[in-house]
Order: sequence, then C-alpha cells, then structure tokens
Amino acid sequence: MADRTYDDVTQLPVDDTEDIDRTEVRSYWQLARRRFVRHRLAVIGAITLAVLIIAAAVVPLVVENATGVDINKSFAAAEIVDEEGNLVLALLGYSRTGINMFTQLMAATATSLMIGFAAVLIIVFIGVVIGAVAGYAGGWVDNLLMRVVDIALSMPGLFIIIAFVAFWGASIWTIILAIGITGWTTAARLVRAEFLSLREADYVQAARALGASPRRIILRHMLPPALAPIIVAASLGVADSVVLEAALSFLGFGIGAEQASLGTLLNVAFEYLNREPYLVLFPSIVLILIVLAANFLGDGMRDALDPRQRVEQQ
Amino acid sequence: MLTYIIRRIILAIPILLGVAIISFLLVYLAPGDPLAQFRVPNVRPEVLDRLAEIYGFNKPLPEQFIGWITNYVQVWNPDAWGLSITYRRPVLELIAERTPATLLLMGTSLALTVVIAVPLGMLAAVKQYSWADKIVTTFATIGYAMPSFVLGTFLLYIGAIWFRVFPFGGMTSSLRVESNPLDIAWHLALPVASLAIQSIAGWSRYIRASMLEVLHQDYIRTAKAKGLSANRVNFRHALRNALIPVVTLFGLSLPALIAGAVITETIFSWPGLGSFGVTAIGQRDYPVIMAFVLLGGIAVVIGNLVADILYGVVDPRIKY
Repeated sequence: MADRTYDDVTQLPVDDTEDIDRTEVRSYWQLARRRFVRHRLAVIGAITLAVLIIAAAVVPLVVENATGVDINKSFAAAEIVDEEGNLVLALLGYSRTGINMFTQLMAATATSLMIGFAAVLIIVFIGVVIGAVAGYAGGWVDNLLMRVVDIALSMPGLFIIIAFVAFWGASIWTIILAIGITGWTTAARLVRAEFLSLREADYVQAARALGASPRRIILRHMLPPALAPIIVAASLGVADSVVLEAALSFLGFGIGAEQASLGTLLNVAFEYLNREPYLVLFPSIVLILIVLAANFLGDGMRDALDPRQRVEQQ
Repeated sequence: MLTYIIRRIILAIPILLGVAIISFLLVYLAPGDPLAQFRVPNVRPEVLDRLAEIYGFNKPLPEQFIGWITNYVQVWNPDAWGLSITYRRPVLELIAERTPATLLLMGTSLALTVVIAVPLGMLAAVKQYSWADKIVTTFATIGYAMPSFVLGTFLLYIGAIWFRVFPFGGMTSSLRVESNPLDIAWHLALPVASLAIQSIAGWSRYIRASMLEVLHQDYIRTAKAKGLSANRVNFRHALRNALIPVVTLFGLSLPALIAGAVITETIFSWPGLGSFGVTAIGQRDYPVIMAFVLLGGIAVVIGNLVADILYGVVDPRIKY
C-alpha cells in the first residue's frame, strides 16, 4: 500500500484512524492513464504512431521538392545535406530515377494517414449517430436501423469502394467518403449496444424523471460512458482505413502519383518488381508499422478505459 | 430445422433487396450518360429518344429498378443478369465460367488453413507462454498486420523472381493446352500461400483464445483430476468445445469462397471472380458490376446461414 499518505492523520478528529482508507482518490482518466502506461506494447504503439505522424508532417515541409525526380541523383547514396548545402534528408538514398526515397515515403505516409484519420472521423460520426438513435429509441427505429446495418454488412466492401471511387473520380475526398460511408457498421453496433444497456440504467432513468431532454440525456449522460468502445474502434479504424486506401491505390483505382499514398508507391513498385525490388520494402514496412501500432494502441486503450480493470497496487 | 432454414431465407429477402437497391443506385447515380456513345451530330434526336425508350431510361427510377430486379430473379434465363458490355455475352455465363477457378483457389486455401491453424492454435494454448506459443503468437500478429497486397507482392518476388521456382501468375502455362492438374497446382502455389498465411494467422489467434478459455473451465480440471492422459483431455475434452466458435469463422470465410479474393486474384492474375469484378470496374462494365455486388450479398447471406446451421450441428445445446 505504497500510495497511502499519512500527512493529515493528526488532523482527524477521530481516534480510530486505522480503519479509514487513505488511498489517494484518482479520477477515471488518471486511472486509465496508469493502466495504459502499464501496457508496454500499447506505449510502443503510441510512440511509433506519434513518430510517424510527426515525421510525415514535418519532413515534406522542411525539405524542398520532397517528391521530385533528379536523374543526376540516380542510385546516389544516402545523405542528409547535398553538396550545395541544402537539407535533403535522403536517409534511404535515391532510386534509379533519382527519387529521394525517404522524403517521398514520408510524403506518402502523410497522405495515407490523413485519409485514414479523415475516414475515421466520418466512420465515427455516422456510427455514433446511427448507433445512438437506434439504442436510445429502441423499438421499430432500432429494428429498421439494424436491418440497414445488416444490408451494409452484406455488401462486398472493398468492391463497392473501388466502384464508387472509379465512378466519381479518384481524389482524396472521394476516397475518404467511400471508406467512411462503407465502414461505420462496427461503430454503430458498438454504440447501440452501449446505449441499449445504458438506457435502462438507474441514473439515466433518474435524469429522465427529472425532466431532462433526450438531447441532454444522450449527450451528457449516455455518450460519455459509451466513449471507451468508440475510442478503441476509432484507433482500429485508422489502421483499417489506411489499409483500404492502400489496397485501392495498389489496384490502380486510388490517387495518382501527384499526391502519392503508400498504396500508390506500392503500385509503382509492383510494376518495377523485377528490376527494382527494393522499392517495395519501405512502403510495406511503414504500412505494417501503422497497422501494428494502431492495433496495439487499440488493445491498450481497451484495457485502460475499462473501469473494471484494476490498477494493481505495487 | 427445415422451418428454421425457410424462415431465415425469408428474412434474407429484404436484406438482399436492400443490397440490390444500393447496387442499382451505385450505378444509376454514377456520373455519366448511358447514351453518351450515341450523342454524335449525325444521330437524330428522335433516335436518341427511341433508344432511351427501348432501354427504359425515360421511366421513373422505381419503375426502372423493378424492371431490373424482376429480370434479375429469373436465373433460369441465361441472360437474366444482362449482357456484359465488354464481352457482349450473358453475365451469368461469364460468372459461371470463372467460378471454378475461384472455388479451387479459395477452397484449397481454406482447407490448408483448417489443417494448419487448428494444430498451431491448439499448441499455442496448451503450452501457453512457452517458446512455441511465442513463435505462433508473433507469426499470427505479423501475418494479421500484413495487408494482403504486401504479402502477395513479397511472395511473388521471392517465389517467381528471386528463386524463379513459381510462375508469375495465371492458372495455366498455355491457354491452348488442355489444363493439366500438375500445371494448375504449380500456378496455384503462390496465391494459395498468400491467402493461407493470412487466414492461418487470423484463425490460429482465434483458436488459441478459444482453447485457452475452454482449458480454464471446471470440467477440464475434473478430467485431469480423474487421471486422464493429457492427450485425451486436450483432444477429446477441450478441442471439441474449443472448435465451436471456429464454425463462425468458417461461415465468415464462405463469402470469400464464392466471391473470390479481389486483391490476391489481381496480383497473381488468377482468372477467378475477384479479378473479373475489378476488371469490370476498370472497363465500366455496369451489368457485371451490379451482378458482382449482388453475388457478394447472396454469398454473405448463405455464409451466415451455413454458419448458424453448423453451429447447431456442433453444439447440441443450440435448438432451432
């Protein structure tokens, strides 16, 4: 019981102070943070994602012409500063056509992550709205919305995304929209399940009895406790969305070379698999890192945000 | 049981109707004019109107949909699903042609998955925290995190370029020669490996978790306490119950068995349904695209139904 504090014992008016539990009072989020930090893989995942996000955001900004081609640099070795003293950060050297592979990789990671996070925003928004309405209203509304979920789950997802993007023109926005409007079913089911059980909870009944409006009950009383599964689903959703976008671009239906994502790089690399197999390596590694990191992060947050999980005292 | 199946099929109809509506809207709302190829100066407006009338483009949307869906259910007609724009042949016929290749590919990989993933998952659970468990878990985590196109590209490079052992793609070495089983097996190796590694990773994780849960139950302790051998406890008592949830996994794999693996088939140019569907999108072959979406929906409904029926077969506690 290392966390006990005995500072103010003397001020207590009662004699029998031994029975009083002096465990420090910690908020839910403090406890959650403690549980998360104990989860070693989750911390590694969070750090990996943070490093990738920062590198992807900063590298294309500080290096001029990050994705340009310079044939004179064909197969040039790795360098940080070129002969003219410009910062080039070519940590992975140059490809046959003279592309700075590291800065290109980071620019592509930025595109991929941006699409992943934006798609997750749509997924969470649609999922929360549909799940909350279904779970709060119950009855025929719930029934109807769950049949819509069944229909959405019965569609060949990747195929629909490819068709949508092919018909409406491949741009970052159509891709985000396509992934967003096909991927919300899991989030909706999770939120609905939480809401169905919360609806009957005593404190929600009490709020209703006190005359709180449905809006207030949903936003103030039901959404916060349902937040944990949403956050976990969102972190897994980032990985799924990044991979979906990469698959789309890999198959040649995604964004073109002008704003390449990791999938675009792999699409190009696949064409040159015979002559330049090394091109496949780094985009693949970054993709796998994103998926692993987001999954570990999701696992860690699932445990951390679950109030039933105790932080064992050391 | 029969009434249960019939009830499930009736319940599936509104879902399939929903899938059909979305598939119809996906194509209907797509930008572009279906008669664009006829809008050239020397085609008179009356001819265009006549064409629109023949194809029904001037009818209201619900009427067009009803016309389309009533054609669709007449699967006994070879051209019920329309003619492919690219091939000028009935879509149903084209789908039937590509189904064997997909069934062969997906069936082989599913069989391989079951044969390898069950022992692996069981080993990892029985010897929890041992080095064997750690190897299986690490493999499963990496296999799970590897997107199928990354894995496919790696295998293609290693098998076909580095070691030059396996062919680049396709199903046979020559289109003219009668298909020889050995030649097909040789072409099958890389795509099957690519699909199987991924599903083995997923399945072995699942089986390990399911087995661990069973191993901690009271009746297992009783079986051990009454002096049964470890093999008997693990195989006769634990494995049988651990495999019950796996039936769900099997049901979830069935849609892929029917609709094919879009990415893997494309990488290895496997002439199955998945690569056919993707090519159709590239060529704007609308009848094929709509057929493919609906086929996917039917496959999911069948997969769920089969999973639920199998669940009742392996778990006698479940009554329908």
